[in-house]
Amino acid sequence: METFVLLALNGLIWGLIIALIALGLSIIFGLLDVINLAHGDFFMVGSVLAWFVLDTTGNFWIALLIVPLIGFVMGSICEYLVIRPIKNAAALTIVATFGLSLFLQEGVRATFGASPKRLMVPVDQTFSLLGIEYEVYRLLAALFAILIISGFFIFLHKTKIGIWMRAVRFNPEIATAMGIPTKKIYLFTFAIGFAMAAQGGVVAAPITTVDFQSGVDILPFCFMAVIIGGLGNLEGTVAAAIILSVFEGMVTSFADPTLARIASLSLMCIILIIKPHGIFSGAKS
Amino acid sequence: MEYSLVPKVKSIIQDKRKLFYLFSIITLAVPIIIPVFFDPYWIKLYSEILIWSLLAASVNILFGYLGLLSFGQALFFGFGMYGVAIAITKFGFGLWGSFAFGIFASTLMALISGSLAVRLTWHYFAIITVIFSLIFYFVALTWKPITGGDDGLPFSPPNILDLGNFKISLTNSTHQYYFIIFFVLLCYYFILKLLESPLGKAFIAVKENNLKSELIGLDTYKIKLLGFVFAGLIAGVSGCLLAFYGRYASASYMFYHVSGEAVVWTIIGGVGSFLGPIFGTGLLIVLREELSHTWDHYLLIVGALVILIVIFFPNGISGLLKKMLKN
Repeated sequence: METFVLLALNGLIWGLIIALIALGLSIIFGLLDVINLAHGDFFMVGSVLAWFVLDTTGNFWIALLIVPLIGFVMGSICEYLVIRPIKNAAALTIVATFGLSLFLQEGVRATFGASPKRLMVPVDQTFSLLGIEYEVYRLLAALFAILIISGFFIFLHKTKIGIWMRAVRFNPEIATAMGIPTKKIYLFTFAIGFAMAAQGGVVAAPITTVDFQSGVDILPFCFMAVIIGGLGNLEGTVAAAIILSVFEGMVTSFADPTLARIASLSLMCIILIIKPHGIFSGAKS
Repeated sequence: MEYSLVPKVKSIIQDKRKLFYLFSIITLAVPIIIPVFFDPYWIKLYSEILIWSLLAASVNILFGYLGLLSFGQALFFGFGMYGVAIAITKFGFGLWGSFAFGIFASTLMALISGSLAVRLTWHYFAIITVIFSLIFYFVALTWKPITGGDDGLPFSPPNILDLGNFKISLTNSTHQYYFIIFFVLLCYYFILKLLESPLGKAFIAVKENNLKSELIGLDTYKIKLLGFVFAGLIAGVSGCLLAFYGRYASASYMFYHVSGEAVVWTIIGGVGSFLGPIFGTGLLIVLREELSHTWDHYLLIVGALVILIVIFFPNGISGLLKKMLKN
């Protein structure tokens, strides 16, 4: 029973991090109609940057602040060089972001190296939870994820740029006619998406290993959260990421991790067949 | 002289059937032509490109003609591979039996997963194909006694034909080449036949407008399912052939990354173009092969080139060729 609760809790924390990354994917997907195969690598770049910042400054908290900013700049560059020239063709974005993914992975392999590295846990205290020593940092990671996700929703609903982003998503032509700088919004959205994935990478880095291939495993999971939450439904994305991850964590308590993965994939499959447009499609379309 | 040749070339390129014959003749002649100019190693690579191009062709059938973007063709590819490897190592089948078993396994899988997947559209369809292929990727990874897990399942290939003194075997590289291209050309011939048939026209109708197709009395579910099963069969043949070529089956070929690469090859070759998958697959495999000798981090160049190709040639290689012919 204890392990069941603990693994469910691990699932919840991991789900929050996935939600953070998937939100970035969801806005890129929803607003720019870009099928971003490089999104997992944005996450990976974030964790690698965290490793570099920690290596030079020795302070994890600096990484937590700086890496999303670097991610934002990198995202702007990527949008300007790769996405902008091929806009309005979802199929072509698959190829372009595939190229970007190759480029980022190989770039990291060339600089960071091919062997996975571990990041020192910045807060190495533990506390007793149901008789097991539980890392404080995991709870902090969950807290960061929740703060960033809520911050993002507040930004989207309360600030001018956030409202512009939603307006462009609703109807780009009319938004442009109303004087919204649509192109800048596209750039901004992509950059925010990159920054959020990179931030997810920093938050997750002390829990997992830092590896140039870590994006490959995480990418399908993020896409599934976006699709199962209902396309364009950001709250749905968060909910789906958490539900799937907690479910997987719970299954891990009595089966090995690969079987748990198979179980959660099967669950997604069933959800899609029963509700072909995502679990929360009824709420908002 | 040159002026009289241009219209002829044009008519060949524009006619799928003539193009297919041209392609067949070139492919048959490759073992004779290549050793004159290049290393004979390229013959082997050419047959490998053709095998992989079938996987891209299966994506092309779905995406180019039916409008369904599948990110899960590696599933049927993997079933073809494992079908062959398991039939040989566990059941002791011969070459033809294992080949048939591989095709049967992948087609059956396509029928089962397709009957569920084609109910969905666009992004939802794409994601459910990823989910299916990931489920079986993880199954193959854990079910070690049958699949060999990470290490894969190697086998030694049985003879193609054994008449006592006279043997045709995959260990002979010429025999292997003609064995492979026979089936590759057969697959392309079937694809051609399909595209020319009423069913092929129905595919395009469904792609252009699903609702209108239904209104004129087409059973769109059945049409999509047929297309999905056919594409699964082609991907399965591709997997069987690669298993024979590499004498090996492995779970890693079922990962979604393989499906993704097939989609990329298809789009670079030109979506909805009959031979486009061969161009796209050929270009990327040759690029990798050539660049990998020059620099350890050659994938940086491949990544950048892929982006440049899609920016400057959005209609792929076949689109570029068509444009060049028009001028």
